[in-house]
Amino acid sequence: MIGIGGIGNANAADRRDARFGYALSAPALTMLFLVILFPVVSALYTSLHEYTLIAPNYDTFSGFENFMLALGDQEFRHSAWLTAKFVVGVVLLEFVIGFAVALMLNKVERFKPVYYAILLCPLLMNPVIVGLIWRMFLHPNLGIVNYLLSTVGFGPVNWLGDTKIAIWTIILVDIWHQVSFMIVLLLAGLASLPKEPYEAARVDGANSFQCFIHITLPMMRTVIVVTLLIRLIFAVKTYDLIYIMTRGGPGISTDLLSYFIYRTAFVSLNIGEASAMSIILLAAILALTVYLYRYMRAIR
Amino acid sequence: MFKKLLLGSVLALGFAGNASAETINILMEGVPDTEFVKQLVPEFTKETGIEVNLEVVNYAEMHTKLVPQLVAPKGSYSAIVVDFYWVGEFVKAGWMQPLDDRIKADNIDTSVYIPALMDLVGQVDGTTYMLPFYNYAMGLTYRTDLLADPQNQADFKAKYGMDLKVPATWDEYLKQVEFFTRDGMHGVVNQGLRPDPIAMEWSNYLFANGGEYHDANWNPTLNNEAGVKAVEQYKTMIDKYGPVGSASFSFDEAFNVMAQGKAYSYITYNFFRTAYDDPSKSAVVGKVEIMPVPGPTPEQGGSLNGAWGWAIPKSSPNPDAAWTFLKWVESKEIAKKRALAGGSPTRTDVFDDPDLNAKYAYYPALKQMLLTSHNFPVFTYTPQLVEVLGRELSLAVAGEKTASDALAAIEAEMAELARKDGKLK
Amino acid sequence: MRVRWGSFIPHLILSAFSLAILLPLVWIVRVSLTDKLTAYKIPPEIGHVGIENYIEIFSAYPFERWFLNSLFVALASTAISLPLATAMAYAFARFNTGGIFLRLGVLASQMLPPIILVLPLFTLFFTTGLMQTHLGLILAHLTISLPFLAWMLVSFFEGDSASLEEAARIDGATRWQAFILIAVPVAAPGILAAGLLGFILSWNEFLFALVLSGADTQTLPVGLASMETHAGVEIAPLAAATVLSLLPVFVLLPFLRKYLIKGLSLGALK
Repeated sequence: MIGIGGIGNANAADRRDARFGYALSAPALTMLFLVILFPVVSALYTSLHEYTLIAPNYDTFSGFENFMLALGDQEFRHSAWLTAKFVVGVVLLEFVIGFAVALMLNKVERFKPVYYAILLCPLLMNPVIVGLIWRMFLHPNLGIVNYLLSTVGFGPVNWLGDTKIAIWTIILVDIWHQVSFMIVLLLAGLASLPKEPYEAARVDGANSFQCFIHITLPMMRTVIVVTLLIRLIFAVKTYDLIYIMTRGGPGISTDLLSYFIYRTAFVSLNIGEASAMSIILLAAILALTVYLYRYMRAIR
Repeated sequence: MFKKLLLGSVLALGFAGNASAETINILMEGVPDTEFVKQLVPEFTKETGIEVNLEVVNYAEMHTKLVPQLVAPKGSYSAIVVDFYWVGEFVKAGWMQPLDDRIKADNIDTSVYIPALMDLVGQVDGTTYMLPFYNYAMGLTYRTDLLADPQNQADFKAKYGMDLKVPATWDEYLKQVEFFTRDGMHGVVNQGLRPDPIAMEWSNYLFANGGEYHDANWNPTLNNEAGVKAVEQYKTMIDKYGPVGSASFSFDEAFNVMAQGKAYSYITYNFFRTAYDDPSKSAVVGKVEIMPVPGPTPEQGGSLNGAWGWAIPKSSPNPDAAWTFLKWVESKEIAKKRALAGGSPTRTDVFDDPDLNAKYAYYPALKQMLLTSHNFPVFTYTPQLVEVLGRELSLAVAGEKTASDALAAIEAEMAELARKDGKLK
Repeated sequence: MRVRWGSFIPHLILSAFSLAILLPLVWIVRVSLTDKLTAYKIPPEIGHVGIENYIEIFSAYPFERWFLNSLFVALASTAISLPLATAMAYAFARFNTGGIFLRLGVLASQMLPPIILVLPLFTLFFTTGLMQTHLGLILAHLTISLPFLAWMLVSFFEGDSASLEEAARIDGATRWQAFILIAVPVAAPGILAAGLLGFILSWNEFLFALVLSGADTQTLPVGLASMETHAGVEIAPLAAATVLSLLPVFVLLPFLRKYLIKGLSLGALK
């Protein structure tokens, strides 16, 4: 367990430090408590009741029945597994591409603002728009992508209509849209690294690769873990893109969990079960976060 | 400085709307029919002094936006528009005000509406909750120029031993689809996206094969010869006669294939009919016509009905003003004006109006379509049934389930939903 | 020779990457200048060219209202959340305030799908009169950006400015001065990056904006989405609106240029 800073031998300065810490976090915490505490508690409470929007009351306490129903539902389990694969896919691919681009950007001086401005553009587009625009590009018969492929001899790719390809299409579009998120954060991390260790290493005759492995990576560790974590939380919540591009199809090949929960809440109007599913999701992400957090601490 | 300016302008925008007396807020969707209402609203404000604020959101998300408003004891919307497949749910949850007293007090004649539409988005179990706003029954849109081509007619006759003409039955239409799939043309384009595009389109296939969703006691009647044929035909259409990828097409993608002149036919909502004649969207202006989806015999139709209705929610802050608006917008005069602008009517007297028939040659076909169309099962769980249909049909089209397995799964879930709703004993 | 390669390869990679991002954007610009019929013509042809889509989004849609609403809400929520998150992140990093439980607690609400939070939030806002107001939207977006910004920033404060702060404290600086005058400038690249991402989170947020906004407070994502209708997608005006919705890049650019260079020099200072 991570200690709370040696309460036993706390001296006056430590206590003042702690007070200063609380004073600094107080405004943010107050704000969060005021707005988000009620919705979160409400979701927890609802998950334990038979609560639908058609009969919105807390008359029937159902204990963990909603949780059992969700876990026993084959569709839910399918969506959960698919979501896990999707999240690992997008987060890792975006990290690899994003880190490479961030390293390059950190090296260059010329055109840097130009590159930066370009990579920011997709980030300023809402997922709904990204989905609609890409649906047009990827139209199998009338889209520009398949047309360009046909000029170099590739047959029409069934981007969204093939059960094996659709999920990869979603991943590709997500990368185009979100990879810059990683770049912005990682570049900021790289920019705030101190220069001296590199200079010392150069004197010792280390090459760029050795510098990267022995200096950049260890110093970037916390930034990397936090970047991965935040992107992961967003990736788990992906639903707009699915909604616009495939609605979970063809078949059930792109039926991600967030979209499934969305349907349970606003199509089936079963808020109780949707809340239970959300809390299962929360527990999974939280466990992963604790693990990553400890891992991050352990190697420091 | 910049920020201050911005704040000022945003605040000014925010307060500009609610200066005068009464305002009614209506949540709508950006379809042509909404546009026609918007154009006429200044007349209403001039007559009554009531301001009308139309908030337009996207169709797919409208339900999400509406539900919290309807659950609340007092909401922001004076009046709403209701898609037919929310009707059962809204009635069951008690979210709409009955209109019968108002209709009686103001002597409104609801018998002018096409009966099938009144059943769909008007009355539920004898109580009137809505006035039918516009219809979106599905029809067969097809290329008249291809049918009229003498070479095509000769080829068709040689191949099938029958004349190439407007199809009178479903089987005749299927032959035409097969025939026109050649030289880079597709016989048909489908909208195979989950859940509502595929569920709605496939319903036409079911009815065209003489099938129905359920019997009088709400026992599902899908997993039979007609149902299996409908699924298999649908799959064949997508795999063999349609363009690559139509298994994931929404209406927009499918419409574009047709509008670019790459398909002979497309079964779709009748409001797309006017879009074919818009030269900024269509390369086939004047070459596409609409007709009822042909049925198993020339007398029967296979079309699926669909419509939106006006309603006043329980949570309406000013139901009286909302009713004043509903009366006005659904009056013969305004309904006719909307139809003249290109709207999809719901009243028989508008369908029979000579001015409109002079302007739109396809009006008799439209009326015929509505009269012979079939209604989708309307009950509390219609949206869930659409989800189930979407999922299972999509699995069948993807080849991951046989037609019979998919239909069996739909039947099981449909029976469960109907039982939960008390329809099926 | 070695120097040449050293700057050539990064530019090669960056150009390739930028091109991959840029080409779809170029095609959006093209679609925005034509009509739907031409946009879907394959093989592509020049066809109709004109600026009527740009006129249409102002005449047929209240584009300027969407844009100003979004800009205002995004700027305001970032302006509020960035200092609050910075202070909280510093407290987390330096004094381990609240320990791991508080840190996880702050983020936990964001691990729930927003669809679950939106109903109670609606109830909360309705009873407090915040429904369909700008303030309500700003608050809703704060709940999203605050936790994420705080988490992003913790890692930037966990860098090695601690020793610098200690030296300053010994020289008589107060805790507050050490925070404002040393820790914040050292973490500036991170703070600016976080601010940028905070702006983007709010700019793109869809679900809360959909449910909590009214006709006058509709934001850009909700407005643009309304161009997808039951009767098809108005793709050409949508493309025009998308192009204009990228304008904040040029607002952010001068500010970013400063940050991109400043970030490096600060790193060198340490």
